[in-house]
Amino acid sequence: MGSTVVTPQRIDETGTDQDRAPDRPWLVIVHNDPVNLMSYVTWVFQKLFGYSREEATKLMLDVHHRGRAVVSSGPREKAETDVFRLHAHGLWATMSKSD
Amino acid sequence: MPRFSRSPGGVRVELDEDEAGLLRRLVEEMVSLLEANAGPADPVVDRLFPAAYGGAEPEAEQDFRRYAGSELERLKLEGARRTASDLGETGPASLTLDEDAASGWLALLTDLRLAIGTRLGVDEEKMARDLDPRDPEAPALGVLHWLGWVQEEILHHLA
Repeated sequence: MGSTVVTPQRIDETGTDQDRAPDRPWLVIVHNDPVNLMSYVTWVFQKLFGYSREEATKLMLDVHHRGRAVVSSGPREKAETDVFRLHAHGLWATMSKSD
Repeated sequence: MPRFSRSPGGVRVELDEDEAGLLRRLVEEMVSLLEANAGPADPVVDRLFPAAYGGAEPEAEQDFRRYAGSELERLKLEGARRTASDLGETGPASLTLDEDAASGWLALLTDLRLAIGTRLGVDEEKMARDLDPRDPEAPALGVLHWLGWVQEEILHHLA
């Protein structure tokens, strides 16, 4: 996923123990919805995360065909920011701990 | 017919009186919806302000809602009001959207489409179906597709 995958580098003092596990970042997941246009979703991925058109298109197709795709990952705070930005663009995004 | 083109200042958008009027009405409805703060009982509000944790962490969800929810509402309202002002009060609309303005339009057009799509309960099959004039939902579906077309045109000329 290239440069947009952020490895947690600092420990959040107020976080839970889960946040301290650097091997289990939060995953930001975009879910398929019947309304949003494929071209728009691809554009949002490029704009928000700096993906190339090819990478963004591949992710968009994953969302479309598999129902969801991980578009970014990192510590809780970053994941929340990414979810917020996706919601601001009308995409259906959630975050969860990686398995 | 609206016309779209690329200009040095951004994307040129020209809407005739009917199209600009339709968009004004939809934007006004969106402003009212956001101002009414209908709360999570409304499926449209649920779709515009989705859960971040998908129900898995109620406490974190509440925190997220508290700080992000009102900010998201403010952003969406601001975007809708800016587009209303771009469109002017009456008549056709002729404007140039720089990259920021085009982004704002695309996000707003998305919210308008999500609101209509959620009210109609659309799925992939319904979205792909040809419009049947006898279908009572045909006018709303037509608007949904028209908004999508405007969005495609802006995206195309932005790239």
